[in-house]
Amino acid sequence: MIELEGVTFTYAGETSPALHQLDLRIGQGELWAVLGATGAGKSTLCSLLAGFIPHFYHGALSGTVRVAGIDVGASSLAVMSEQVGSVFQNPFNQVTGARYTVREEIGFGLENLGIPQDEMLLRIERSLSLTGLSDLAERSPYALSGGQQQRLAIASILALQPRLMVLDEPTSQLDPAGTGQVFTLLRQLVTAGEATVVLAEQRLEWVSQVADRCLVLQNGRKVGEGTPSDVLSRAEVGSWGLQETRFSRAARAAAARGLIRPHDALPQTLDQAAEHFR
Amino acid sequence: MLLALAFAVPWWACALTLFLLVFPLAAVAQVLGPLARTLWKIVLPFAIPILLIQGFFWGEGQVLFTLGPLSFYRAGLIFAAASIARIAMLGGCFLLLSMTTRVDMLMRALVERGLPSQALYLVVTTLQLVPRFQAQAHRIQDAQRTRGLETEGTLWRRAQALVPLIGPLLLASLMDVEERALALEARGFSRRGPRSSLVTLHDSAGQRWLRRFLWTLAVALILFRLFAWVTR
Amino acid sequence: MDRIRRDFTTVTLVMIPVAIAINIAVGQLVVALKLPLYLDSIGTILVAVLAGPLAGLVTGVLANLIWTLTGLAPFAAAFAIVAGIIGLMAGLFAGWGWFRRLWLWLLAGVLTGIVAALVSAPISAYLFGGVMGSGQDFLVAFFRATGASVMQATFGQGIVADPLDKLVSFLLVWLTLRALPKRFLQRFPRVENVTGRPE
Repeated sequence: MIELEGVTFTYAGETSPALHQLDLRIGQGELWAVLGATGAGKSTLCSLLAGFIPHFYHGALSGTVRVAGIDVGASSLAVMSEQVGSVFQNPFNQVTGARYTVREEIGFGLENLGIPQDEMLLRIERSLSLTGLSDLAERSPYALSGGQQQRLAIASILALQPRLMVLDEPTSQLDPAGTGQVFTLLRQLVTAGEATVVLAEQRLEWVSQVADRCLVLQNGRKVGEGTPSDVLSRAEVGSWGLQETRFSRAARAAAARGLIRPHDALPQTLDQAAEHFR
Repeated sequence: MLLALAFAVPWWACALTLFLLVFPLAAVAQVLGPLARTLWKIVLPFAIPILLIQGFFWGEGQVLFTLGPLSFYRAGLIFAAASIARIAMLGGCFLLLSMTTRVDMLMRALVERGLPSQALYLVVTTLQLVPRFQAQAHRIQDAQRTRGLETEGTLWRRAQALVPLIGPLLLASLMDVEERALALEARGFSRRGPRSSLVTLHDSAGQRWLRRFLWTLAVALILFRLFAWVTR
Repeated sequence: MDRIRRDFTTVTLVMIPVAIAINIAVGQLVVALKLPLYLDSIGTILVAVLAGPLAGLVTGVLANLIWTLTGLAPFAAAFAIVAGIIGLMAGLFAGWGWFRRLWLWLLAGVLTGIVAALVSAPISAYLFGGVMGSGQDFLVAFFRATGASVMQATFGQGIVADPLDKLVSFLLVWLTLRALPKRFLQRFPRVENVTGRPE
């Protein structure tokens, strides 16, 4: 589904590369989390997968990038956006503003793609039910909470039936309730086989519950790859600039003081912590 | 409905009689109350200054009455009345249009007739964004006021209040433009190729005939007016 | 023709509603602060500098038409042409490099204001007898008292108020764009108006 080989990218006007010699393979139907401190290259990777790099953000791109069988560099923004759906940080900015109801808003992208009307109606209903927005279908998109708006953004993208969904810190501007809604939704979608998801995030607690595999970036380089529990238990975790969960910190501190026997996997969630401290 | 606008062009006496058209139409569309109230609110702030200024400062012709050193002129009164009638009629027409038509449906109809779909985006999005931005401007105003920004007082102080109010609004809006553009791209906004529509619009033969009639009437009135003006 | 497509990118189309909303929000704010200015073209000027004269023209015209549609300023539509010309001129001046020198840019503002006054005077005189229900009406009264005709009085009001208003508007746009990081300005079609180098 996704193949990156030796990918290096430098933004126009910058001297140091945002991504350096990146290799990556992601299969269909997986939920990948991209982790890293601010500026590590998560957003750059997301833009690359969506085709915004190099077609919207200009710069020097080298290496092979294939997404859903398409060579990203040789393609175009229009083609890429049909294959890859993107969700961004700010829920308000993703409401197009050109439609008055949630239902029509989802239809916006379908209309642009020239999907026939009966097919449109089916896809919209499906999107609404998958994202739990059926009750809100006739509301104005501006009358929704942040979490709901973000789910609307996801619904709008889902309706276009992309091969891949790329989300760049979609919960960073949401409250805990909204955050929970989004993460849960993404997991449901992938489990049900509706989408392949690449998610750039900082919230480790949620990531470890929801992601199949993780990729850790630092200064544009890959420094870690594997399942969440593997990756997040490694000793170098502290040096990666990630925001550790309080459970990991506590476990680490306890192990350092000899209060508990050191385990291999550090707990990321409350349940894991309960187990860990037993 | 749309073509009622064409009546805006003719002369002030016509304007007054056409008022007799706008109000009944509004009654039919059940918006007479709000329309009349809004129209009154709009016209009044103009009507009084116009009457006063044009009436007292016309400078020539028959004087109707005097008030101390000032004279109130008949010609000024007529001019003011004409202006007020024209304003009221224009206002009435626009209000009727905006109160009875759903803008997005109007735009969709135009897009069907060949207007680029980007125009639909521009009009509807602007209409939805304007109230949000006004609310945001108010929020910034309140926030600055709690920080001690003076919004009353001397002219200079009020002018100084302007920059910290406008600055954040402008910068934040421009920053958002990038994300908004990408979000639109992700929905196929710049795709070339045939587009479809979620809604089907209904048109009837009766409506088509009415449109043709209104267009001809509008053109005839304009020509008549031009003719009258040229042969004066 | 190709220039038009290059100017009207998705970013431009996104910017226009935002700019119009800014026009209206700032315009209303100025009324709330009871300042003797309009400042209702700031968004238009922004678009003109960042996306060219045609985009500025479209923004100005659309802004006034929609302003009327919202019911906030019912007669704005009559001055759509004026607003369009403001956008057009700002875009042309920016295209000639006048944005890069502050004094030239301020001069551009004054010139635009003068043209705006010239064009809006006949409209205002014909429709309203020059009286707008705004703070400048006393100017009209003043000119009428000195014996001027309606048209002349309206123009008199305009020629005092408009250049000042545009001067301030142009200045605010200059300050705003100067405050934006260069990397961010790359998004816009006419970035060279601000930075001086076509990218």
